[in-house]
Amino acid sequence: MSLKVKKDANRPMHRDEVSKWQWTWKEMKKNKTAYFMLAPFFILFIVFTVLPVFLSIIFSLTDFNMLQMPNWKGLTNYTRLFVEDEIFMLAIQNTIIFACVTGPVSYLLSLLVAWFVNELPPKIRAVVTLVFYAPSISGQVYLIWSTLFSSDAYGWANATLMKLGIITDPILWFQDANYVMPLCIVVALWTSLGTSFLAFIAGFQIVDRSMYEAAAVDGIKNRWQELWYITLPTMRPQMMFGAVLAITNSFGFGGVVTALCGFPSVDYAAHTIMHHLDDYGGSRYEIGYASAIAVVLFIIMFGSNILVKKALSKVGE
Amino acid sequence: MKRSMFHKVVCLILSVTFILSTFVIGASAGQYKENSTSSTLEEMKALVGTSSYEDYMADYGDTVNPSGLAPIIIPVTEFIANNGDVEITKDSEHYANSLTDHPDSWVNFGDNAETTVYLSTVNNDKKASSASWNFTVTKDMVGLYYLQIEYYNCKTSQSSVSAIQRKLMIDDKVPFAEVRSITFDKHWSYNNFTVSDPVVVTDTVEKTTTTYDQNENGYFKYVTEIYRDESDGKMKKVVTTYHITQDINGNSMAPVASESSEWSTYICSDESGYYDGYFNFYIAEGTHTLTLEAEREPVIIKSIQFRPATSVESTTPSYQEYLNTHASAQKADGGIITLEAEFPYFVSDSSVAASNDNTSAITYPITPKAQLFNVIGETGFGTVGQWAAYKFTVNKTGMYNLSMRYKQSALEGMFICRAIKLAGGNEYKYGLADGSPTAPFIEAYNARFDYSKDWQSDYVGSYVDGKKQVFEFFFEEGEEYTLYIECALGDLKDYIRTVETSLANLNEAYLKILQYTGTDPDVNQNYKFHEKLPEVLLALLQEAQTLTLVADNLQDLCGTNGAHIATLDTVARVLYTMGKDNGVKIAENLSTFKSHLGTIGTWINSSKQGSMMIDSISVVPVETNEKLPYAKANFFQSIWFEIRSFIYSFFTNYEQMGLTSIPEEGSNTIDVWLAMGRDQSQIWRSMIDAEDGFTKTYGKAVALKLVTGGTLLPSILSGKGPDVYLGLGSADVINYAIRDAVVGVNGNDPHLSEEDNKVFCNYVYEDSAGNVYYEKDALSNADAASRGLKLVSTAFDQLVADNYAPAAMRTLTIYSPDNAGKPEGQRDVTYGIPMTMSFAMMFYRMDILAELNQEVPETWDQLLEILPIFQANNMDIGVAYISALDFMMYQMGGGMWKYTDTDLYDSKYAGAKIDLDSDIALEAFEFVCRLYTDYSFPVSFNTANRFRTGEMPITIGDYASIYNTLVVYATDIAGTWEFGSLPGSIDRKTGKINYDSLAGVSATVILNSCDNMLAAWQFLQWQTSAKVQATYANRIVALIGPAAKYESANINAVMDMSWTSKEKEAIMEQMNHLNAIVNYPGSYIYSRYMQFAFLDVYNDDANAHDSMMSYIDAINAEIARKREEFGLWVPGTDGIEEPPIKSGASD
Repeated sequence: MSLKVKKDANRPMHRDEVSKWQWTWKEMKKNKTAYFMLAPFFILFIVFTVLPVFLSIIFSLTDFNMLQMPNWKGLTNYTRLFVEDEIFMLAIQNTIIFACVTGPVSYLLSLLVAWFVNELPPKIRAVVTLVFYAPSISGQVYLIWSTLFSSDAYGWANATLMKLGIITDPILWFQDANYVMPLCIVVALWTSLGTSFLAFIAGFQIVDRSMYEAAAVDGIKNRWQELWYITLPTMRPQMMFGAVLAITNSFGFGGVVTALCGFPSVDYAAHTIMHHLDDYGGSRYEIGYASAIAVVLFIIMFGSNILVKKALSKVGE
Repeated sequence: MKRSMFHKVVCLILSVTFILSTFVIGASAGQYKENSTSSTLEEMKALVGTSSYEDYMADYGDTVNPSGLAPIIIPVTEFIANNGDVEITKDSEHYANSLTDHPDSWVNFGDNAETTVYLSTVNNDKKASSASWNFTVTKDMVGLYYLQIEYYNCKTSQSSVSAIQRKLMIDDKVPFAEVRSITFDKHWSYNNFTVSDPVVVTDTVEKTTTTYDQNENGYFKYVTEIYRDESDGKMKKVVTTYHITQDINGNSMAPVASESSEWSTYICSDESGYYDGYFNFYIAEGTHTLTLEAEREPVIIKSIQFRPATSVESTTPSYQEYLNTHASAQKADGGIITLEAEFPYFVSDSSVAASNDNTSAITYPITPKAQLFNVIGETGFGTVGQWAAYKFTVNKTGMYNLSMRYKQSALEGMFICRAIKLAGGNEYKYGLADGSPTAPFIEAYNARFDYSKDWQSDYVGSYVDGKKQVFEFFFEEGEEYTLYIECALGDLKDYIRTVETSLANLNEAYLKILQYTGTDPDVNQNYKFHEKLPEVLLALLQEAQTLTLVADNLQDLCGTNGAHIATLDTVARVLYTMGKDNGVKIAENLSTFKSHLGTIGTWINSSKQGSMMIDSISVVPVETNEKLPYAKANFFQSIWFEIRSFIYSFFTNYEQMGLTSIPEEGSNTIDVWLAMGRDQSQIWRSMIDAEDGFTKTYGKAVALKLVTGGTLLPSILSGKGPDVYLGLGSADVINYAIRDAVVGVNGNDPHLSEEDNKVFCNYVYEDSAGNVYYEKDALSNADAASRGLKLVSTAFDQLVADNYAPAAMRTLTIYSPDNAGKPEGQRDVTYGIPMTMSFAMMFYRMDILAELNQEVPETWDQLLEILPIFQANNMDIGVAYISALDFMMYQMGGGMWKYTDTDLYDSKYAGAKIDLDSDIALEAFEFVCRLYTDYSFPVSFNTANRFRTGEMPITIGDYASIYNTLVVYATDIAGTWEFGSLPGSIDRKTGKINYDSLAGVSATVILNSCDNMLAAWQFLQWQTSAKVQATYANRIVALIGPAAKYESANINAVMDMSWTSKEKEAIMEQMNHLNAIVNYPGSYIYSRYMQFAFLDVYNDDANAHDSMMSYIDAINAEIARKREEFGLWVPGTDGIEEPPIKSGASD
């Protein structure tokens, strides 16, 4: 029952007249210069990002071990992951605690600090921006925390506490299940004022001054209202960018924990999904299983992205 | 409530058991090891009590020798062999037979038949050998003497690269600390030259010229000598060509310095550079015994003499006297003779070597494309006593200057000194009769080289009253001179010695404060130092003053106040702050003080190690028209060179470093990968290519590739892996092995063909036609010869039995599931040959133990007995809990895995469960936990730092890494520490004391992509053989220095390395007490849970037993999971929970 349309050579093709693919192809031909310019990035993106994601989905259904031909295992890896693997449950729990604390806190912190910094005169602002941004650009600088909280009796924290008579024996800060998680969260927050913070500062700069004047005329009462109704909605793209970064950082915060607490952390106290992935992919050569973990992590991140997007659309309403 | 009650009861029971068990241990604690290698308390006290030469001279220095004193000649052949292996050499033939390893070094012996004595390093029991001589001194012979020994640096099976060292004792006592270890130098020379046949020339003047050339074939030095042949009166020319070869990319390759055996004269003098001239010994009336105890290297001795004392001042003229002697000599003119420093004729030891420096565009030779050798002394040429010697001939008799183009930028603001010594000459002779060099005048001990960030080109001279005095030397036409440039402390020596004394005093002060206040003194408490420790306050203030004075004087000498000298001022300020006001600031500054002690140690060290790079040395006629070589490149030269360097840096192939030809792809070329440093890779490369190297011996090429760590796994995945990989950790070996990525090398690998397996478990012979024969047992030499066969490969079993500790092999072996059908004994598959082996040993401070009057502990009980005494003095014992958890279990007779006893269980069950829940394992675990909880061992600490300051007089850890750290980091305590085997525990199974340490192994493996098993197996044998390993170890020490001791797994190689005899004894003893944790599938899991269990106990005071038990299920589950993956037996399979004990196994 398809409706035949009379073809008129002079009439431009209409969107409804052709299949979706044909239409896309036509549009691509029309904009080939743009696609050509996009190609270098796009090819790299496909090869190094999209393809690995698909590969790991495939690997997660096998028992690949890096050295031998993989065997097809179906969903075994996933059932094992969710049914048998207690440490994975612990890892999810840790990851969620970690992400829920560091993600929003670091996000709000970045936003607040950016807002305050933005209020400063330009010259001072440049200096203060650098001060806040420095921890995240100087790579391994978080290692000063391991000096600060060294397990040695000569470590700063231990030496001070011992001097004050609060403790008699040194505390193994990063090897004590009671301290590991809070300490790691503190370090994570300290290093998190990174790229998203810069993006926020940039965001604050682009807000049109005339909007504030217009708003003042329209009856904005205080700075909070100004922030909520004018500033934040204007800089929604930057906020989205910052949020995505905060999510990926808080889920992927593995290396710093390993550097500070060793691998694995004592009693798996700071064992996140990333660590679990490393554990299986690295020391046990179970790439298939590790891929399954990676897929789960991917889904969690993807899901939280959607949530955040939804939440952000409420800003200013 | 109930639970805590239960806990209490358990605790009570456990503590009672524990107390009882300590009684059991205590009862047997009196047992001492037989033949212990550790020093006894007596020895340690003697060591600490030995006075310095300064004190010795204070006692005897005023002795006036009677005139006409004759030397005391000790008859060398009338020796007393205290501890084995001292022989009179009969003649060269005798040695050629008894020491066949290096027959070539015995050629010289004909003249000295039956008059010389051979002193070995170790006797047959591996103990240091020692020999004594008696001599009698009558009343009229009493006086001061210096000691002279004629020796020959022979090469025997006990030789290595290190210098010959002996402990000198007179009447069983070291007369003064400086001769505790005396060193006889060896001669090293580069045999990289050829001499042409003489050709008749038309020249009429005798002349020697030196030219240099750098081209695509290498870097050459030509010495052309035109001379009149006395026999036929014709003028002839001889060219000597010295050659530094280069690799395919044009990089210079290090010529191999080889030891040349020669007769030399040793005169006992100060090796640290503090005292000029010879050491004087006071010989009293009566009969004395002179003892030489071996420390390093065998030696042959021709004569020992005590010669009447003379001082340097009385034998060496002053510069003015020297000039007066040559007042009539004319000032020479003509051209400058330039000697490129990278071509030394002799060097004192093999670390004095040429190297590359591309920091100046006019250093000769230089290219931006590659690294050419153009300097000497960049590293390894700064220690007092090291020298490089150069030969030259001048064409006109007269006075000459010396000049050098050098860069001395090591220590900001500080000058360094070199001694200039000469040998040779005809009418005016330099040096001793036997050809050893002497300083021509006293000032030559003191040639000064100033600091500059850039290259300098200047005359050699010393400073007089702040003004430089350039030396003039008298040389005769046509005579060959040898110029020695020797590292010396010169003007610095008094200052360094003063600072060294200061450091000793300050260390003492620090320990006293520490014993009084503890490591963390309360800032607010008034310790009343002026009442309790007045001497410490005095010492602090005194040393503050001393250091300030030294800094001021040095500043005057140098003319500037560089960072190096300023260090002393900084320290002095802290000392002053601490010492003043009755020491109220001591508590506050204690940790700063501690770190400053380290700073002073480093200061002394670096001041002594004054190194400089030398590009060239010029012999300059005083009235020459030519200019000295330029110091710096001009702006355009520099910028052009930099630009080209930058561009070429994109094209340098570092993988090919040291490659002399690109090996063809093919089955006769073995692909070898290693993930080490470039130095290491280059040494392997040159050893493979050497005359007696792998390629020449086996006729197979090797493509050696330097890769970064972690490259191996992806390369196997992509099928581009090597044939052989060097230095894979044992855990990885097993990981790869269970996934079939590496090949079993003991002939049992089920994945290899019959043909391939035959290669490993048989002796392989080859006839001249290239046919291969496999023999189960080795053929006798005669048998092989009659069949025309040559042995090309040894069977695995023999190789292992000869060279490795059984423990080392265990870590590389697994029971293979695919071999299940085979009989017991053919199932184990070993997946590599051990290359390095590390294990823990105990390091101890002899001076502190002696001071506290304690023997070196040999058991843990003795150690715990000492502990209260240590702790009363605020000292600790250091051992890492992770390693203690492991070795304690093995010492007590436990093991990591269940069902490993093949007498009781079928081997398919081995390793199916963890044995940490056994009684012994739990007892060991509790004991270790108690060390850290009840006995307060520190859990986290900096070993080297605390050991150096004396806070941790006993520390346990990997022997080579601690040794390497201490050797460079803690030079101020050199000689006061030793290491020995671990303290032992009672083995709960045998009741004997068990001293076991656990071996960690890295191995050389063959990858499964290898297509020529025989070639790869041959390479493995060659690479891990004792000779090659020892050579490698010695060369790496020669190149990098004493801190680069390599932990070869080959026992025979360790014996040939440059450890002292005492160190060797200790290492060998521990090697006899080694165990290892076998790797079964899932072995990665236990260490983390043991750590968790320990931390629970330490952090949360959990019960040790319960805490360990709570993890057992998790460990077993993981092991079972992993075993299932590889199709191995797990509990529950076939309905069997507990493996059956074999029928016929006796209990």
